[in-house]
Amino acid sequence: MKLASLGFACAVLVAGATPSSAQGLVPAAGLSIVSTRVRGTDQLTGTVLGGQGSVALGRIGPEGANGAGQDLVEGVALLGVRPASWLRLAVGPHARSYTLTGGTPLRWVFWELRARASSAFVGSAGRGYVELWRALSASVNVPEPFDHAQGGEAGMVVHLARAPLELRLGYRIDHAVLGGGSRLETVDAVVIGVGLSGR
Amino acid sequence: MRQHIAWIGLLVGGWSAAAAQGAAQAIASPFAEGIRAYQNLDFDQAAALLRRDLARASGSTATLSERAQGFLYLGAADLFRGRRDSAVAVFRRLVQLDPRYRPDRLVFPPEVTSVFDNVRVEARAVVLVAPADTEISSGSGAFTFWVVASAFQTVEVTLRYQDGAPFRALYAGPMGDSLRVQWDGLDAAGQMPPVTGELAGIVQLPLDLRAVHIDTLPWPKPPADSQFLPERAGSRPALRALLGGVLLAGTVTALPSVVGSDHPNGSRLVVAGAVGFAGALGYVLHRPGRPLTANIATNQAVRARWQQSVAAVKAENVQRRDDVHLAVHAGEATAIKPSAR
Repeated sequence: MKLASLGFACAVLVAGATPSSAQGLVPAAGLSIVSTRVRGTDQLTGTVLGGQGSVALGRIGPEGANGAGQDLVEGVALLGVRPASWLRLAVGPHARSYTLTGGTPLRWVFWELRARASSAFVGSAGRGYVELWRALSASVNVPEPFDHAQGGEAGMVVHLARAPLELRLGYRIDHAVLGGGSRLETVDAVVIGVGLSGR
Repeated sequence: MRQHIAWIGLLVGGWSAAAAQGAAQAIASPFAEGIRAYQNLDFDQAAALLRRDLARASGSTATLSERAQGFLYLGAADLFRGRRDSAVAVFRRLVQLDPRYRPDRLVFPPEVTSVFDNVRVEARAVVLVAPADTEISSGSGAFTFWVVASAFQTVEVTLRYQDGAPFRALYAGPMGDSLRVQWDGLDAAGQMPPVTGELAGIVQLPLDLRAVHIDTLPWPKPPADSQFLPERAGSRPALRALLGGVLLAGTVTALPSVVGSDHPNGSRLVVAGAVGFAGALGYVLHRPGRPLTANIATNQAVRARWQQSVAAVKAENVQRRDDVHLAVHAGEATAIKPSAR
């Protein structure tokens, strides 16, 4: 796999906040480097810089070629609840925009329902998480009608003992089906991030 | 000026109250009949009534003050009947009964008080006034009692065993109206000072002595097992890390299949490997049987606190064992005739 281009952009500070066991809201912020690959009618890959809260800016290009990079903009806004300390349920829009090789911009807007479970598995510093989501509805500027979309992310977060920082390593994937399977769009990425920890 | 008026008013009030109290006492006294006859100048009748009532009176029917008052009126009545010897005898009994008693010089004329004073000086009676129960520390504390005399005289205060053998001389010498005597509770060998003059009388006060040991304190209970933290790591954290890493790595690997994608990215295997490595590392770091230094230090602090409290109780118990108290119970004082030496 060759990264056609590397995109860098300032990450947006997280607009969200994580609830902390009945002690109020603990602000959190994060910065991630995401290696993204889009497989659909085109196969694009690249690295973007993102912030927690899922606002990502960057450039992607054709996989295995030296073509010019394409802009990728992706953002998620979620409103969630935490019914248990290990479980978070959230809903919100997920927008993604990138340009195909032929210059056609492709814009997605999903309304997603997400469920995220996390638990410490290496002492209290290392937490693993698994998140699954499914699109409740979607809007995309392609002729094929939207069929369904779902995705997931799994990885781990390591809290540093001597600093209010956490390191994140994960893998996420989105898979959308349009036109009864005539068009498949898959976006997967490896996420390496660092964030502020409120604990 | 206002202060003067107030002071005079108090004085008159006090006088009136005292007079009223004296009259009330006379009426309520078991010897009221004889006193009333005395006040009516019927001295024969007063002497007969008072002698009869005094013969009947005991500690339960008349107080010491009432009996002393009865003796005083009887002596005065005998004196006015011309029976001076009988009056002297009655006054002597009065002095022996209560050496502190003094006739009211506003009620009795100088003929009576002068005879009484002569008898008081000659009788040389003493009484002992001691607290009923006393507990003292041997050596440092003191059992205190008073020797009250009718007049100036020489007294000897000696502690004796029940069989009469002396073991501690407390005081020997002259005394005025009263003498405060202390005994430190220790038996001491010593020579008694020579007593000169004729021994007028002996008053015995039985003292019941009892050594009192203060109870020692129980040792504090050792800390319960529930207060100690485990000093060795269990197997649960290690297994949790290992199984969690394996499960999470498997989830990362299988995630494309879960969401229905048929083109999985090989980079996820890197993530899965890192997660699995973290789990294995966690297993090593939290391996079963690993000493938990923080818990060991906490447990040592708990044990040290208990040992300190035990040491404190031991020291307190040593002090309590050495601190023997002497309980002194004073009995009824009795006057006995001195034997010829």
